[in-house]
Amino acid sequence: MSLEMIYGTPSLKTQMPRSVFCPGCHYGTIARILAEVMQELEFDGRAIGLAGVGCSFAGMPLNLDVDFTSCPHGRAPAMATAMKRIHPEAVVFTVQGDGDLGAIGLGCFMNALLRGEKLTTIFLNNANYGTTGGQMAPTTLPGMRTTTSPTGRDPQNSGFPLHAAELAAFMPSVAYAARVTVHTPANFQKAKKAVTAAFQKQIDGTGYGFVEFLSACPPNWGLTPTKCLTFISERMMAEYPLGVFKDVDHLDYSKVP
Amino acid sequence: MARGEVTINTGLCQGCGLCIGFCSRGCLELSPDRLSDMGSPQPILAQPERCNACCVCAWLCPDFAIDVYKHTGVA
Repeated sequence: MSLEMIYGTPSLKTQMPRSVFCPGCHYGTIARILAEVMQELEFDGRAIGLAGVGCSFAGMPLNLDVDFTSCPHGRAPAMATAMKRIHPEAVVFTVQGDGDLGAIGLGCFMNALLRGEKLTTIFLNNANYGTTGGQMAPTTLPGMRTTTSPTGRDPQNSGFPLHAAELAAFMPSVAYAARVTVHTPANFQKAKKAVTAAFQKQIDGTGYGFVEFLSACPPNWGLTPTKCLTFISERMMAEYPLGVFKDVDHLDYSKVP
Repeated sequence: MARGEVTINTGLCQGCGLCIGFCSRGCLELSPDRLSDMGSPQPILAQPERCNACCVCAWLCPDFAIDVYKHTGVA
């Protein structure tokens, strides 16, 4: 009888002495999904990642052994546009958090969609600004306590949460838009399929691929990692329904009005 | 008889305990006597005979700390 290794660290994972994330943060699981999808689709040699500012920047470039560039805050889709137009054969993706994509970089993101770029965006939604100490983000749930909304987010003053996946699905240049989580094993597999599809749309030249991840932030939510899973399934998924909002194989690029 | 085995890299594990919640066979337990260099409690394979190498703990480990092995062949 012998022992055979059947599942372990992906070879795209960089060797680090310890993890850069807080205990229970889902970003490491999302980095695993990205590493596995890049190897399965065999484009890790020509992948270029662009990370925004925040925990997404701290995590993905340090965890994944592919080309990465860090961008000014919120400008990852703009830099990705340049990268994709200079290197059309490359597979260009951005990894952005909710402060990066939803707040300061919403203009750059919307303009990338309007220009019809063929990029892939991984949006990490943890309902607050994790790096700077848990301030209120555009994706914070109504009534959710953060350091800048100590009595809970009041929609009367602060508005309603940003639904980025539905917003992307509404744009004509987007070929794939989905919202997934990694809080159960089944959802992990669905998330991997969604990321695969989003990259495949770019490789086939169909259009923009967008995947939103609901992820946990145990220190800033003030919950244990296990209770964060309950919070995601009860509170986050009530506000942000999971699913594939758009999946088309062909976009009409003809000039005829 | 155990069909699989998991190893936990004590340098990477931060003791979040997600693997314990996800293991449907109840193999893993947090060990109070085993602490990492950072002071976090570490899970151990408390009931190795129940492990069936389903890999769920390794999929959802955020710190890339778990490797899964499967017993192949008969001695």
